[in-house]
Amino acid sequence: MIPPRLGADGAPPALPIGTLLLGALALLTGSVTLLLGARALVGPINAPALVALVHVYTLLFVGLVFAGTLQQLPAVMFVTKLAWPGLGYVTTPLLVLGSVAVVHGFASGFTPLWLQAGAVCVSLAWLLLLTQLVATALRRWPKDSGSHALLLSVLFLTFTVIAGFLLASARTSAPVAMTVGYPVRLHLTLGMFGAFLLGIVGSGQKLLAMFALSKGGAQWRVRAAMYLVTAALVAESVEAFARVDLGPVPALLIAAGSLMQLLEVHAIYKRRLRKRLEAPIQRYVLAHAFMPVAGALLLAGQPAAAGAAFLVGFIGLAVSGMLVKITSFLVWTAVFANARTGGVSGGAPLLRDLMRNELEPVTTWALTGGALLLCATLIFRDQALAYASATLLSVGAASQFAQVVHVVATTVLAGRRLARSAAVAPAVSAEEAG
Amino acid sequence: MTETTFTEINPALPARNVLESLRAVIDPELGLDIVSLGMVYVVTVVGGGVNIEMTLTTPGCPLHASIEADVKHVLGQVPGVDEVSVELVWDPPWTPDAMSDSAKSSLGFW
Repeated sequence: MIPPRLGADGAPPALPIGTLLLGALALLTGSVTLLLGARALVGPINAPALVALVHVYTLLFVGLVFAGTLQQLPAVMFVTKLAWPGLGYVTTPLLVLGSVAVVHGFASGFTPLWLQAGAVCVSLAWLLLLTQLVATALRRWPKDSGSHALLLSVLFLTFTVIAGFLLASARTSAPVAMTVGYPVRLHLTLGMFGAFLLGIVGSGQKLLAMFALSKGGAQWRVRAAMYLVTAALVAESVEAFARVDLGPVPALLIAAGSLMQLLEVHAIYKRRLRKRLEAPIQRYVLAHAFMPVAGALLLAGQPAAAGAAFLVGFIGLAVSGMLVKITSFLVWTAVFANARTGGVSGGAPLLRDLMRNELEPVTTWALTGGALLLCATLIFRDQALAYASATLLSVGAASQFAQVVHVVATTVLAGRRLARSAAVAPAVSAEEAG
Repeated sequence: MTETTFTEINPALPARNVLESLRAVIDPELGLDIVSLGMVYVVTVVGGGVNIEMTLTTPGCPLHASIEADVKHVLGQVPGVDEVSVELVWDPPWTPDAMSDSAKSSLGFW
């Protein structure tokens, strides 16, 4: 049997790297904007400015990091070539333009035209990304549950943005409103759990095990998480469209699915052979501590704070950890793979040497503190807490952005230095020979 | 630790020396050489041609192209080597048991 060629066969490197940088920039922009108007956090949570900022976070930070990752990760996970590797040249601009239009639509007081136009662009981009992912999977259908969870998460993300489009349309069209109602809860559940949680479940199993050198992962836990979350989304859909009250069933299914992810990460972490994990991977693991926090807040009757713990604490830290780690892998591979100077033997830096170590604890603890204070703000409605939270989130986002820019700049400069010395060496040898 | 298999039809270019040269190839993620990591399964030397059968920590490792290029770069500088080919294999799969004790120690296994 000929072993499969390995998956460095993703998109042109500039695509995922550029998309990840844009995602990091979006978090910084959103956090600073929140800091400038932190008072909004003690007002109604469905105020236009806050809803707009939530969409900066979900569509532009998490969404772009997810979209950038999908330009490389499927080739690695499915061990095949990415279908239509240049598609990101279409999807990334569509995502950015559409998301900015959606954010503007919310910020300007839920303007239907902007919301609909933006939602069309974002939905089209995610439909294209879903098609690309499925086409890649069809080249070599994956058998592991992690890959299946990744496929499902992108499907649910596409449903989420389409649900967003329906919500925008229901504001202006009576027939749409009559047909689909106004399923905000379904939109939220699809996005937070179907898309983001399953995305982390699917990609995390492979990546965490790979970076921690662990054999602790179990297919059945990932499969169980996938089935439980999917069942919760079906239950939510029945509630939304058939107008049937299923009580706590969807929430219990999501709690059980989240528990599976907690157990999975615990097992991988416990059975890791690489005891000293790198800082971004530690941040990814730490993110999971926010899952029980979110559950406890929900039980305590604080749904807004629970949502913040899940979205900003769990999703934010997990995405931030993988963003920094994946960026360093992508840039290093783009600059040094196939370099005629050789890899590390020819003078290329190690991956860990690309980072500024002092920035990592700043990112981790500022984002963690910011997320915790955000939960406290939503519980106590205190303005000082709101400013403290926004300040910490801005510091964490700035540190993260500085790190990814540093990683890219350091690697590119090191590559240029090596290329120059490789060009000089043969010339010197030729002179000596002459 | 992995026991590398040697085949050589050129006494002037001992396969064991070729393996020792591969200690210059460093995994950029783990920061250790591929021999200590137990990734090199077979070294075959026929005349000036060298074939390396090796594995990686995980199928789909995005660093495969750079490690493969580095193996060719390093062996290309060994006197007597005219041609280098690298075969990536997944059977047996790599496990941390394949590593040398010093490699395990430097990754903090104990």
